[in-house]
Amino acid sequence: MTRRLILLACALCLLTGVAMAVPCDRDGDGTLTAPELAAAILDSLDARQMGGAVEAPPPADLRDAAFVYTHWGGRALTITDTSGQTTTLTRPLRRIALFNSDSLEMLRSIGLEPDRIVGVSKYVLEDPIFYPEYQGTANLGSVWSPDYEQAASVRPDAVFLYASISRSSCDEIEDTLSAIDPGIRFFRFDSFRPTVYADEVRTLGLLLGKSEDADRFLAFYEDATGSVAGVVDTIPVKDRIPVYLENWNDYKSAGKGSGYNEKIELAGGMNIFGDNPVEYPAIDPEAVISRNPGVIVKIVGSGETTFGGYGDDDISSFEQVCRAISDRPVWNQIRAVRDGRVHIIHTDVIGGPEYFIGTAYFAKWFYPDRFPDLDPRAVHRQYLEEFQRLDYDLDRHGTFVYPA
Amino acid sequence: MTPRRSIALCILIALLAAPVAAANIERTITSSGDDLDVTLTVTGIPVGGIVETFPDGCIWKETDHPADRTRISGQQAAFAVIGEETIHYRVQGSPEAAEAFTGTWEDLLTGGSGTVGVDGTHDPGAGKTPVETPGFLPAAAFAALAVAYRWRCGR
Repeated sequence: MTRRLILLACALCLLTGVAMAVPCDRDGDGTLTAPELAAAILDSLDARQMGGAVEAPPPADLRDAAFVYTHWGGRALTITDTSGQTTTLTRPLRRIALFNSDSLEMLRSIGLEPDRIVGVSKYVLEDPIFYPEYQGTANLGSVWSPDYEQAASVRPDAVFLYASISRSSCDEIEDTLSAIDPGIRFFRFDSFRPTVYADEVRTLGLLLGKSEDADRFLAFYEDATGSVAGVVDTIPVKDRIPVYLENWNDYKSAGKGSGYNEKIELAGGMNIFGDNPVEYPAIDPEAVISRNPGVIVKIVGSGETTFGGYGDDDISSFEQVCRAISDRPVWNQIRAVRDGRVHIIHTDVIGGPEYFIGTAYFAKWFYPDRFPDLDPRAVHRQYLEEFQRLDYDLDRHGTFVYPA
Repeated sequence: MTPRRSIALCILIALLAAPVAAANIERTITSSGDDLDVTLTVTGIPVGGIVETFPDGCIWKETDHPADRTRISGQQAAFAVIGEETIHYRVQGSPEAAEAFTGTWEDLLTGGSGTVGVDGTHDPGAGKTPVETPGFLPAAAFAALAVAYRWRCGR
């Protein structure tokens, strides 16, 4: 019995070793060299097309070897995701399941082929205008209500989850799917947080063999963010305009450490609740009056304000929300209301991977005199056409900001 | 985005956006005495394989492709492509044989495949092989000498 267990353990070790080896690395030194790749290619051609009797690598191994040689220098790739988890890969990811729809948008920005995605969250399937190519892809449910049966049935080689939100739900998904298939790799990215955005684009580019596309997208992204940062950096902290940001829930703002606080600061604003230790604090309306913001920004597109965005051409709901804020009791004493500087923005351009379009709007609203030539709509249009590859007429469709 | 930034970005993106040419391999054959000099021009296939079949009566002579990326068997030659953009090889044969060359290629990064001499992938049609004179090897050598001369003269 003991001998059997030892044999079984040895067999598992051997299998693991084989699975971890770079394909077609004949001498097993961990590096696939050009001569090794060439020999594998010739053996494959010889066996399949020239009647040779050589032992050829399986076609899948050969394709994986070509990928590893081209994109990873012939060696295993070790990457660290945004959660700090380190993973080593010896083969490319070809069947990716995503519970994180923000990462799906980022993957599209770096040109990932849609046929490498085998499962998406339900939110992707509920948005056929923005994700037309993924309608019909397996529905994995959501981070909060995952469909494990479906997720396992698509046989993913990798599952993408969020890094910094819904951690316990993501942990549970990882634990459950790992138990079903220990071979699945898990990666956690946010794809919406400014501080890690560029790093995530680079990491995903390397991971998926899309480094050139990632560099091209980052050139666009860094130009868009840089055109704001270059001006904001010249504004003394004491001169920065106080801003009240409210999400789709009335009197719910953004505190210290929240993504929205970061976005206000990137656009040169001073968040009047930026010192609140709660990420998304419920605030007292009188506190807004006493802190007297120069600009008010309300985010819509979720909760009780589920309207606007790519699938809605009617701006009237934005107007109503704007008017309702100005009509709040005693809020006519607030500088932003008196000066007509209440703005509505849809979460589609500030909450996810498109956040840099929203911060461009913020900058223009906060400092109209300092950004006379900044054109957030042009940035938005270029993003959709060049990087999201969407046939979407921004001049005719969609509602994203008010006043426009 | 300011107009100046927009222009700079357009230039940057144009520079970064390496033209992604459709995968394709063209064959050019030139006749030189008793030999046929074959040039395969590889476009958009960073890693792949080619199998060329030359007609009965032709005899393999040589290639400038590395020996460890070439395999000959009967009337067939296999080439492993790892970054090369051209492959030259020579067979002994009559000019009339040039029309009877056939070949296939595979792109190992995309999984695409096709026929040598035909634009695009998965095209089952036979490739038409252009025949040129004079021989490509002397012409290529002359061109290289001309470039070297211009470089040395600092022009």
